[in-house]
Amino acid sequence: MASGNTLLVFSPLGAEFPVSNFATLDTRNNHPCLDFDASTGETVYFSGVMPRNYAGGGITVSVHSAATSATSGTIGWLIALERGNTDLDADSFAADQTITAAAVNGTSGIITVGSVAITDGANMDSIAAGEYFRLRVTRDVANDSATGDAELYAVEIKET
Amino acid sequence: MAVLTSQQREGVWADYMRQRVGDISITKTELRAAVDAADAWADANAAAYNSALPQPARGALTAKQKASLLAYVVMRRFEVTP
Repeated sequence: MASGNTLLVFSPLGAEFPVSNFATLDTRNNHPCLDFDASTGETVYFSGVMPRNYAGGGITVSVHSAATSATSGTIGWLIALERGNTDLDADSFAADQTITAAAVNGTSGIITVGSVAITDGANMDSIAAGEYFRLRVTRDVANDSATGDAELYAVEIKET
Repeated sequence: MAVLTSQQREGVWADYMRQRVGDISITKTELRAAVDAADAWADANAAAYNSALPQPARGALTAKQKASLLAYVVMRRFEVTP
């Protein structure tokens, strides 16, 4: 896969939820979204298989989000990956990678995109092409400032 | 009644942000400062509010009932619901 090409896209409808502190499924004008609280770091998971055409160049994860009500401040995210080659009864995510908190749009319903480039290897838990994996998305409430929920509309993974 | 504890104020802050009373143009930190100030104002003016209530309401209503009464009046004035 050439650099910059999309590998996977996750929709809110494909989210998987932890037993506590989970984002909640919602709609905004019939657009499915996941609402992440402003004060508690809420989480969702997405699972998939790394496409066979992933060339090992690392990945860039992009979160498409909007603010429920905020028209100022920032929204940030923590991204972690887990290779599915260990006992599924225990989590084994690699370290969080940070999408630096960025300013929301001055209109609360307009999406902004935040991204982080994750190098191949340990930072993405050494996931290889053709392997099952999970992606964990958590709102970085400790480092962002926008009031109210952050709404996640899509997550894209591309070859960096 | 004393002012809310920091944890209680944090609860108010979190609950308020979940309610979405229109678009908000300030940050979480700035909103928290407003929560703290609103609580401090309520504490500083509690006696004045109580004195403004006529008898027999002032003597017959409990503190919680008086607080609820004030909340209902303010919410109706601004057409908001919790």
